[in-house]
Amino acid sequence: MRYLASRTVYMLVILAISSVAVFYAIRLSGGDATAARLPASATEADRETLREVLGLNDPIYQQYFTYMGRLLSGDLGNSLTNNALISKMVVEHGRNSIILGAAAFLLVFLVGVPLGMLASVRRNTLADQGIMSLSVAGMAVPNFWLALLSIWLFASVLRWLPSAGCCEPRQLILPAIVLAAEGTALTVRMTRSAMLENLDSDWVRTLRAGGLSESRVIGKHVFRNALIPIISLAGLRIGQIVGYALIVEVIFGWPGLGQVLVNAVLRRDYPVAQFFSLVLVVMVVLGNWLADLGYLAANPRLRKT
Amino acid sequence: MASPLLSVRDLTTVIRTEGIEFEVVRGVSFDMYPNEILGLVGESGCGKTMTALSVMGLIPSPAARIAGGEVRFGDRDLVSLPEREMREVRGDDISMIFQDPLTSLDPMFSIGHLLTEVIRRHRSVSRPEAEAMALQALAEVELPDPETRMSQYPHQLSGGMRQRVMIAMALMLDPDILIADEPTTALDVTVQAQILDRLLGQQRRRGMSMLLITHDLGVVAAVADRVAVMYSGEIVEQAPVGQLFSDPQHPYTQGLLRAVPQTRHQRGALHTIPGRVPPPQFVPPGCPFSPRCSQALVRCWEEHPELVPDDGRHLRCFNPRPLTPA
Ligand SMILES: Nc1ncnc2c1ncn2[C@@H]1O[C@H](COP(=O)(O)OP(=O)(O)OP(=O)(O)O)[C@@H](O)[C@H]1O
Ligand SMILES: [Mg+2]
Repeated sequence: MRYLASRTVYMLVILAISSVAVFYAIRLSGGDATAARLPASATEADRETLREVLGLNDPIYQQYFTYMGRLLSGDLGNSLTNNALISKMVVEHGRNSIILGAAAFLLVFLVGVPLGMLASVRRNTLADQGIMSLSVAGMAVPNFWLALLSIWLFASVLRWLPSAGCCEPRQLILPAIVLAAEGTALTVRMTRSAMLENLDSDWVRTLRAGGLSESRVIGKHVFRNALIPIISLAGLRIGQIVGYALIVEVIFGWPGLGQVLVNAVLRRDYPVAQFFSLVLVVMVVLGNWLADLGYLAANPRLRKT
Repeated sequence: MASPLLSVRDLTTVIRTEGIEFEVVRGVSFDMYPNEILGLVGESGCGKTMTALSVMGLIPSPAARIAGGEVRFGDRDLVSLPEREMREVRGDDISMIFQDPLTSLDPMFSIGHLLTEVIRRHRSVSRPEAEAMALQALAEVELPDPETRMSQYPHQLSGGMRQRVMIAMALMLDPDILIADEPTTALDVTVQAQILDRLLGQQRRRGMSMLLITHDLGVVAAVADRVAVMYSGEIVEQAPVGQLFSDPQHPYTQGLLRAVPQTRHQRGALHTIPGRVPPPQFVPPGCPFSPRCSQALVRCWEEHPELVPDDGRHLRCFNPRPLTPA
């Protein structure tokens, strides 16, 4: 329970610090916020008035507290470019992002863990070498390149899948695979090495001496032990997926939080950029917290004192 | 004498690392009888654990393999027994206790879970019945508060308690043969005696046959019926315990006995055998002990001595001499 409490406090501290960091980063990144709202022909006087109205001339810490106050009272503000309600945008695009992110997350573990297990059981065979080569490739190929390559191959040449768009299952396949690629590759390696490490432990010999079958020893006991490091790194995988979603959503035209955020930043639509950044931070931090909970639940050495 | 329960004949186990293959168990033969303790002693690295693992069919694969010999158990040869049938033997007919109790239990499962899993592997009993059997086994090794322990995880138990759990696991299905590989070495001295006492009590009560592997000649002298001395993968001398301790013949056995503090063989300073066990990759030709032997003949360097039976004793030496008080 101490562990749980400390992880929770840690999560809240990280959230507070990141909200400040996000806020400052967007204010200090330069560019003129009024360009998003006013036509290019607007005079400097008009712009100055708008800045005053938006509170952009106040000291940044003051803007921060005003902003957080509004956030906590449920007022997320409007987009500067089209005046859309940010709360509505978040719900709509957030749903798309969660579909894509969840698909990628499931792929990472449902593909990565079994492949890693297979490689460990077939250690030093052709199967192992094949899987490990694939995983090296998965880690080495940059995301955007894999995205372009897969669009070229599966959409342009083979015409099996659509190159972009939302939100049919067929349109989900390519972006989900690209988003999951690196995490899957890392999970394969992690699973393999965790399995091998546990296979070498003394208690495996005890179980064998008790007459348990290899499939029981490996499939149940070794796997159960290997799960601990796998779960403990699930938080990292979530962070990775959220980060890469920015690129992948833009390339595949998947209208999720990442795509909106990238556009908002390019257009200096700072209320949108700010809030969407915060949402992504919250997702990462929350994901890590959930992974910590999973780690706690899976590890008897931490569960009881 | 009754017919042996287990007969090991010319057992040879090889390990392959980095392309070279070497023998770690070389032509080992011994018999185990009901209601008897056979002590297996020898310096570190001489192949005691490998011998035990070979009997159990638990040598590390694919690095090691059994290159020859037989392990007769009843009418079966365990070496050639298919793995599926060997699994029926393990934990049920022949059990083994390992050296390090701290790392020998799966940390992810409760004691009760681990014990009942093995029971249900061998006996078609319900979960509650298996739990009752496990509880009974824990009580028999005098693990304090066994009901609570059943639901606890290995990390919640002390080393001594974990070794009791290991013993309970090895004994709960009433095996004919128990192999105990340095069962107390890793424990506190105070706990060692208790654990050994539990083990012997159970052995006697069940009339079990036990192979006791240990460094501790004092323990062997006190509890074993017969003793086999191993050197460099071979048994070099084997005899009833009284005979071996009162009249050791092999220079290596004599050296081991002289190295034990507080025996009647000791005069003055504690004796050590000069040199070390040769690594199995570099076993000298002839008698492997010859480089360290004070009474080696030229023949000992050139010819490999056979294990020769002589009046209840087996000896592998060209030039045995009675132990002379130095
Ligand atoms: N997995 C392995 N790979 C390579 N060599 C090994 C392996 N296991 C054991 N050996 C070698 O086999 C020989 C016999 O080892 P074994 O563990 O049987 O000795 P032991 O008599 O039990 O020693 P100890 O008293 O230290 O337990 C040693 O020389 C050891 O180095
Ligand atoms: Mg050993």
